Amino acid sequence: MRFQRHDSHRLTGVYALGALAPGAEYERFSRHLRRCQACRDEVSGLSEVATALAFAVAADPPATMRARVLAAVGRTRQLPPEVRSRSQLRTPGFLLPRLVTAVAVAAVVAIAVLAVAQIRTERELSQARQRSQAIAAVLAAPDARILARSTAVGGVTTVVASAARHQLVVTTTDLPLLHGGKVYELWLIGPHSTQPAGLLPVAAKGRTEPVVATGLVPGDKLAMTVEPAGGTSAPTTAPIVVVPLGSAS
Amino acid sequence: MSPRDPDVARPRLASARPEAANELDGLLLRVARGDQDAFEAVYDRIAGPAYGVIRKVVRDPAQSEEVTQEVLLEIWRTATRFDPAMGSAATWAMTIAHRRAVDRVRSVVAAAEREQMTADFHVPADEVAEAVEASLDRERVRRCLGGLTEAQRESITLAYYGGYSYREVAALLGTALGTIKTRIRDGLIRMRDCLGVS
Repeated sequence: MRFQRHDSHRLTGVYALGALAPGAEYERFSRHLRRCQACRDEVSGLSEVATALAFAVAADPPATMRARVLAAVGRTRQLPPEVRSRSQLRTPGFLLPRLVTAVAVAAVVAIAVLAVAQIRTERELSQARQRSQAIAAVLAAPDARILARSTAVGGVTTVVASAARHQLVVTTTDLPLLHGGKVYELWLIGPHSTQPAGLLPVAAKGRTEPVVATGLVPGDKLAMTVEPAGGTSAPTTAPIVVVPLGSAS
Repeated sequence: MSPRDPDVARPRLASARPEAANELDGLLLRVARGDQDAFEAVYDRIAGPAYGVIRKVVRDPAQSEEVTQEVLLEIWRTATRFDPAMGSAATWAMTIAHRRAVDRVRSVVAAAEREQMTADFHVPADEVAEAVEASLDRERVRRCLGGLTEAQRESITLAYYGGYSYREVAALLGTALGTIKTRIRDGLIRMRDCLGVS
């Protein structure tokens, strides 16, 4: 649309309020922001207004939350800071043979496309776009590695992990269906802590849609357990699979 | 991205008391280095506003509590990515809180919509007033909101406290997208001037 370009500027307010849904328009405006200093300045100022709107409705959280959060903090590793030098991300020997990557990428994309085929509403579409962007970013990372392991209960879990992005994508095939609302839960197990890394969605035709997990640090392993409905904050059963994601480098 | 002009101070809300805002920035930078005491202090300053805005968007108290906990833990985990050149610590934290609240609502709505395509949303546009107590900053925000046109206030409130995208706001109000963009921008600029973002 021709009017879109000079129209972009008016999205500053919408963007500052967090009211620009993920999708093509969001991407376009983000790109515009990179080129437009005046827009960035305006977004900064209007974002402070949004913050004032949040502070204006401050409410006391339940008193028990503080102790819970502080305890969780003690068990949770922080992300390493972003290192901007790109050359550091390209450690030779950490790369996959191109062909293997291509096959794995094709498999994960096929699953993502299947999931997209089931989309019915605009909201689902924008969520799916956001998800596939996150997935594509992991798959395209120069240091992406793929690992597949059979699980103790049958089926296979496939992981594409990028240490540089601190992210991984997990899909599974042919895992047994769970009953009574139980779920497959993912965990990132580090030397000092175990973090929940998300729940697997219910499988369609034996496959689960890719799940993106963040917070990966070198030395982490991915584990999967069977947990009660809704998942838990710490594993309560023995893992059905553990996938080492590469050594601390 | 071109570097920001160091002479241009980034915007700040006068109403948020500059020294308090700077203090929060400093605390968050300490959190980034793993300082748990600093995190406790950050918690005491932002848990309330985070919970407040998440309650606004999510509504359900139990779910709001869950999201708030996730947000606070995310603030701890990702404090290393906070860049004071890009905005205040308060804004960084509230952006995470609001985004997570909207994510939660969207995933719930997406599930519910499969059964019920025409959900009747109920978000009173003037609900801000209800939760606002007599605190100086709150009063000020309320007064500034009061200075907007009804149409501006309604769009901003639906978008931020309702957690709707601007396209959804346009659909709810039966108004053109361009009009909503302009209303939100004009309204926020008026708020900014009223609040005295320096």
